[in-house]
Amino acid sequence: MVRILLRLNEDLVSKPIVSEVILEQKMLFTILSAHINAKGGEIVLEVPDEATDAVVQAFRKKGAHVSVPKLIEVDNDKCFSCGSCVSLCPVEAISIDTDSNVNFDREKCVGSTCSICVDACPVKAIKSIRYANSESTNSQEK
Amino acid sequence: MSKQEKNTRTIQEINEKIRKGDAQVLTAEEMKKLVESSGVEVAFKEVDVVTTGTFGAMCSSGAVINLGHSDPPIKIQKAWFNDVQVCHPGAAVDLYIGATNSSEKQPFDYGGGHVIQELVAGNEVEFRATAYGTDCYPRTQVKTTLTKDDLNQFFLLNFRNCYQRYNCAINTSDETIYTYMNKLLPRMRNATFSGAGELNPLMNDPDYETIGMGTRIFLGGGQGYVIGEGTQHSPKSQFGTLMVKGDAKKMSPEFLQGASFTRYGVSMYVGLGIPIPILNLGLAKKTAIRDSEIFTDVIDYSIMRRDRPVLRKVSYAELKSGSIAVNDKKVRVSSLSSIKMAKKVARTLKSWINEGQFFLTSPIERLPNDSVVKPMRQTQEIPFVSNVMHPAVTCTENEEIRAIAERIVTKSVNHIVVIDNQGKLRGIVTSWDITRAMAEGKKALSDIESRNVITAKPDEPLESASKRMAQHNISALPVINAERKVLGIVTSEDVSKLLGR
Repeated sequence: MVRILLRLNEDLVSKPIVSEVILEQKMLFTILSAHINAKGGEIVLEVPDEATDAVVQAFRKKGAHVSVPKLIEVDNDKCFSCGSCVSLCPVEAISIDTDSNVNFDREKCVGSTCSICVDACPVKAIKSIRYANSESTNSQEK
Repeated sequence: MSKQEKNTRTIQEINEKIRKGDAQVLTAEEMKKLVESSGVEVAFKEVDVVTTGTFGAMCSSGAVINLGHSDPPIKIQKAWFNDVQVCHPGAAVDLYIGATNSSEKQPFDYGGGHVIQELVAGNEVEFRATAYGTDCYPRTQVKTTLTKDDLNQFFLLNFRNCYQRYNCAINTSDETIYTYMNKLLPRMRNATFSGAGELNPLMNDPDYETIGMGTRIFLGGGQGYVIGEGTQHSPKSQFGTLMVKGDAKKMSPEFLQGASFTRYGVSMYVGLGIPIPILNLGLAKKTAIRDSEIFTDVIDYSIMRRDRPVLRKVSYAELKSGSIAVNDKKVRVSSLSSIKMAKKVARTLKSWINEGQFFLTSPIERLPNDSVVKPMRQTQEIPFVSNVMHPAVTCTENEEIRAIAERIVTKSVNHIVVIDNQGKLRGIVTSWDITRAMAEGKKALSDIESRNVITAKPDEPLESASKRMAQHNISALPVINAERKVLGIVTSEDVSKLLGR
């Protein structure tokens, strides 16, 4: 599964583009997070690996900005495994192992659109990278 | 030994073994496993010392500093380290940095705990002070930079550390709250707890047989001492605490870390470990205590009162499992204190003893084991929502807007609370909503009612309810109980009337 981040401008929020792509591509996606208001929105979708290119192209055609979001970054030198963040994570991307180490699973993390754990870290070891460095899935992206 | 088997051992005997390098030291974790596999008699025979540990946010911590005198000398009135104000409890240049004092420039992000950590790490900190000036202390200001080497004394002096156990915190309200138990999501979407459970020093010597005034301990990566019972020491309810002291110059920034809790404030994580000498069979048994035998309460922190409701009892074994059931709901739960670091404290202390760098002490005085904590005596009452709330004017969802408009006029109110047939909250309609409905020609109540209603609870302080109204820019809150049944309404008018009295 690949996670992709859609950013919609104010013209797009009123259009059912996710449903359209689902119907066109005949494929199911999981919506991991969605924040939408009249001014625009951000949606994180999980799509099957092999379909990523087709889905990204389809969303771009409809005018959405598509990228693979850069995830949450954890400073392991600062983290002393208190566990404050663990119970907050809605997708169970943070866990405690048998040696009481807090582990962060980049694959499972929804990324910076969630960020629920960031302000709970008592030593500020978790940072949300707000797309500044987000990598494009496609070199054609402007 | 040729003599009959002894059923006690003394601290002197243990120290002699440490000196010779043949003391048997286990961490609390290892001791529990040994007792489980071989039984308590074998464990007593084989083990001399069990090392315990905890690493948690301990707000009632701080450091005593003596700066030495400036020239000309100053009798400090106000002082700051890295913009964190410190207290001047005594004479001219003695200071106390409290871990929970916030920086004036970065409040909530940087505080006394961070200053202590930086000093312990050997970093330079900025210092400034002001004074009124006297004939003997003429100077009125001073500004300099300091490291721990420049200080005469720099010792940790913590009034309350090492809580034997702590609450598990949960939030039943509709909004995220930020507490000293960290971030608590609405509607019980998470829970937090604190404390090392079976690794905690006091849990392994709950009758204070060996831990007392003068007990040498691991403190912040160095050696320290128990100097008495901690504040709010409440051993009867298993909320024992310790007051401790140690030379901060010899401590380590790994075991003393400044921390900040969003919208609560700053604190400091302290690593504290105590060696429990296994003097008798009873202590071997006590140090075998397991998380499944240690219980605490799940407490609803959304209730803004001293006595918060207890939702259930829970063991540390359940807490450490990652999820607990509360009111039939599975809730993810995680720790605030680091179990990983607690284990490291116990391991480090074990290695010090094994290497002959740490010897045990006999307490010179026992700690009280029967004291309880009293609440504050208050001579002034504060108002609660229940003191000012009044019956709400209500309607149901199938009523027509016209009928509701009439009710607003006849009852002369601005807010109508929408309820279902069981009296539970569904929504709220204001006179403004009705006016807008008229203007826009809307007929159905469902088109205009607000369903995301901000509410109040009867037993919450009026001040917090009124703060919430201001925050959301609204002028009334329906008052509901835990089942969301509408008990009444509190309005901003009620608040201003009370203030105007």
